[in-house]
Amino acid sequence: MVSILETTPTEQPRWHLPGDINIWVFVLADLFSFAFYFVVFMVYRIEHGSVFLDSQRHLNLTTGALNTLVLLASSRFVALAVQTARTGDYRRATRLVSLGGLCGILFTLIKSYEWFREIADGFTLPRNEFFMFYFSITGVHLFHVLIGLLVLALILRELREPSLRRASMVEAGAIYWHMVDLVWIVIFALLYLAR
Amino acid sequence: MTGATAALPARVSARDDQRSPKLDLWICWWVFPAFYTLFGLIFVVLTRVMPPPRPGVGVDQINSFFHAHGTTIKLGFALLMVFIGLASVTNGLVAFQMKRMSVKPIFTYAYIATLAVGAVPGALFAAFAFLAAVFRPDRDPHLVALLYDVGLLTFVGSLGCFTTNYLVLALAIALDKNKVFPMWMAYITFWQIATELLAAPVFVFQKGAFAWNGAISFYEGTVIFVVFLGCLIVLLRRAIQQQPMDELVQD
Amino acid sequence: MRRIPAEARIDCVWILLSGLTVVAWGLAKVHGEHRLTPSGPETVAVLAIASVKSRLIIRQYMEVRTAPTCLRRATDAWLVVVMVTIAVMYAYA
Repeated sequence: MVSILETTPTEQPRWHLPGDINIWVFVLADLFSFAFYFVVFMVYRIEHGSVFLDSQRHLNLTTGALNTLVLLASSRFVALAVQTARTGDYRRATRLVSLGGLCGILFTLIKSYEWFREIADGFTLPRNEFFMFYFSITGVHLFHVLIGLLVLALILRELREPSLRRASMVEAGAIYWHMVDLVWIVIFALLYLAR
Repeated sequence: MTGATAALPARVSARDDQRSPKLDLWICWWVFPAFYTLFGLIFVVLTRVMPPPRPGVGVDQINSFFHAHGTTIKLGFALLMVFIGLASVTNGLVAFQMKRMSVKPIFTYAYIATLAVGAVPGALFAAFAFLAAVFRPDRDPHLVALLYDVGLLTFVGSLGCFTTNYLVLALAIALDKNKVFPMWMAYITFWQIATELLAAPVFVFQKGAFAWNGAISFYEGTVIFVVFLGCLIVLLRRAIQQQPMDELVQD
Repeated sequence: MRRIPAEARIDCVWILLSGLTVVAWGLAKVHGEHRLTPSGPETVAVLAIASVKSRLIIRQYMEVRTAPTCLRRATDAWLVVVMVTIAVMYAYA
């Protein structure tokens, strides 16, 4: 892992709290919630191992991986946006946030398509324990993505108005978006891949 | 601010200053912990609605549940009828603090309305259903089972009004320039919404994590609600302490 | 000792994250359609990859790398607790 020993002009000095304390209260609380869902999922997996294994096969690994790549790309755009906003290049930052948002919309579309296919094949929420968790957890995550799109829209508004443009607001929104990405990575590993 | 209310009465004498200046607010604040303690006592200890008995049981077991707890159910919910009105005081206190915010009082009206409606499925429906179930010992067991389902489905599944309620509160706090409540409370309130949504599946499942007694739909939801409530009570106390005595509050 | 401008760092991290995603996906695909039996090594590999990706996002994208110590510890603790718990529970299953 590369390490940086001196700060560059676009880097923050050490011990800077990105965003503000408020967003971190939320992020840590939400991470705790998701951790709880994952643990409960595992409890039921221990109890119903064969049902879980059997059902997991019906998930589309490629779609899941694709969605992961889409969300990672969106996080890259948002992270870049924060950096460019700090240097004052607001037009570029706006473009980057829009691209991040487009990726978010793409994720939503892919996910909807994936759900549609699964439901059409008869795998619905009440089908068995596994699908109960699958739809609920990805559902809650999707809800977070949709809220994230709202947050990105707010950041766009923030960046466009010269009178607004608070750095902490842009950072806070970015932190939320990265959290959504982070949670998906664990979901992808837990629901799709791990057995 | 649009249209301040008629001016608060000016201080009549120095003696008025020495009496507890915000007594009215503090009385209302104390209702909060008192009411919710009572609520906990009624729903947990007396009526056994929290944590709820299992949905996936047969008619016989449902009837024996009511038979075993009949007396305490009657006592608990009769008490609830007397004290449920106190919820309006707690809601009024929060609504009053919302009026102090820089946002228009629409949020306050919505907050009060959603809680007023939410109280019915959120507590009263379960109470009446259970009271009816234990009222006549010789009632048809299938009817008793029906009342069991009605009571518990409404109690755990009634999230619609509360979702809007939390949303309105979160929005008001987030948009408030007077900083009556800190920003993180807006986020915590919003976090509440996300967890409440996971109570929706209770209408589908009779067992498992998303049943009305499930680890996620009930237990996690309840724990997070208690955390939220704790934060609300503490922040209300802080808000009252910081409130200027002669502040004019919008209508 | 290298100085990496922030944007290049973000891009490097992104390539790394995407690469790891493809590796994990490939790992699962390689074991074919007959994923009917549990696989300890595969699970450990997948969880390890997810852990690396998660920490990269937390440290690099969420900028916890330069955040106060308590935040760095809190996020690390979350990751460790979640991943270790999942791994242990898989071993128990």
